[in-house]
Amino acid sequence: MEHSFIDKYSNLDSIIHRLDPRTKILSIFIYVVFVVLTSPNKFSEFFGYSVLIFILIFLSRLPFGYVLRRSFVIFPFVFLVVIFVPFYKFDNPVEIYRYGRFFIVWNVLIKSWLSVIAITVLTSTTRFSVLLKGFEKLKLPKFLIMCVSFMYRYIFVLIDEVQRLQRARDSRYFGGKFFLQLKVYANIIGLLFIKTYNRAERVYQNMVSRGFDGNIRILNNLKLTSLDFSFCIVFSLIILVIKILV
Amino acid sequence: MHIPDGFLDTKTWLSLSIVSGVALAYAVKKVGKKIGEKHVPLIGVMSAFIFAAQMLNFPVAAGTSGHFMGGALASILLGPFAGLLVMSTVLIVQCLIFQDGGLTALGANIFNMGIIGSFFSYYLYSMIKKLAGSKIFIIGVFIVSWLSIVLSASFCAVELAISATVPLKVALPAMAGIHSLIGIGEGIITCLVLGFISKIRPDLIDIEKI
Repeated sequence: MEHSFIDKYSNLDSIIHRLDPRTKILSIFIYVVFVVLTSPNKFSEFFGYSVLIFILIFLSRLPFGYVLRRSFVIFPFVFLVVIFVPFYKFDNPVEIYRYGRFFIVWNVLIKSWLSVIAITVLTSTTRFSVLLKGFEKLKLPKFLIMCVSFMYRYIFVLIDEVQRLQRARDSRYFGGKFFLQLKVYANIIGLLFIKTYNRAERVYQNMVSRGFDGNIRILNNLKLTSLDFSFCIVFSLIILVIKILV
Repeated sequence: MHIPDGFLDTKTWLSLSIVSGVALAYAVKKVGKKIGEKHVPLIGVMSAFIFAAQMLNFPVAAGTSGHFMGGALASILLGPFAGLLVMSTVLIVQCLIFQDGGLTALGANIFNMGIIGSFFSYYLYSMIKKLAGSKIFIIGVFIVSWLSIVLSASFCAVELAISATVPLKVALPAMAGIHSLIGIGEGIITCLVLGFISKIRPDLIDIEKI
């Protein structure tokens, strides 16, 4: 069965790919925070941030179409905001000046769009295990990191399982009353839970029998190089220039 | 309802991130102390289960379809802290890999679905069970899972309204109204799933809650 693996472009070679994951995590986090903190009427600042992120995409050699397609996930939410905008009542005139109806939509659209692109660049240029190692080096709780890495490992296995159960249902069952449908649906979930629980126990036994002691080791030992330092300096300088000068 | 970046203003996302961060750190400490690394695969694989279950769509009226959130189910089966960890793991992976929910809004999403939708559900469930006895526990399950959806959606609407993204007076009734319908589906499914599990593997209902 085919899965679209998120890090399918992570084996390309570019400046961005060669950076240490810590550098990328921190830079992208700072970028997202700066974008979110920008006031919606500063169009030139948003222009600067857009140019910056598109330069990053260009440097990382990710296909533009791929990044754009991934960024469309935010549109349902923007649409939700658009629905509510006509109902917005402004109590005092200062608010209209600060947040007109247009600004409400513009605010969420540009901020969420730039952030989503930034996170896509981060996760598409880094192998997921290396990314998690970076988070671990940044002192996030190891327990949580291991849970996330397990989940990532088993998502695809369980999606296959779900598709098998769905195919079994579709080949035996021809629709029916609403309640019956819910019941079949619930049985699938229940069966999936039992299979998953059994799998978790087997996985743990297998890990213990192979000497698992609570640490996950990967071969790649992370090292900060001069490239990382220069990237950090240039990246934060650009953000500061956009913030202060533009 | 995964809130993306930029939908919340600074005071909202910052304070919710702190609340969720503290809750998560406490849950990690608590689960780590109790069972240790044995629960790593369980929570990781259960997170993948919740994620896979959320991929299944079921038909709601008029051609639309909804999906299962699973917060109440996770905490009723595994316990409040494990439920919180499972939901948080799901949300972190959805944020990083599928761009479902933003980085700065991660704290708010964990608050809505992990703390309100899962952690809180467990205590409500055990309270109802204590008051009503275990005979009609299925009604408790229904109420709790219905409420988990409605409360998550309402908190989401309130957070968006505080951030001046949506008007409170319209958005809160709309979100709560729509989700009280979706919640009926969630409630029925959670009851049926628990009924199914207690028929086939009754021992799994009584595993130690963390």
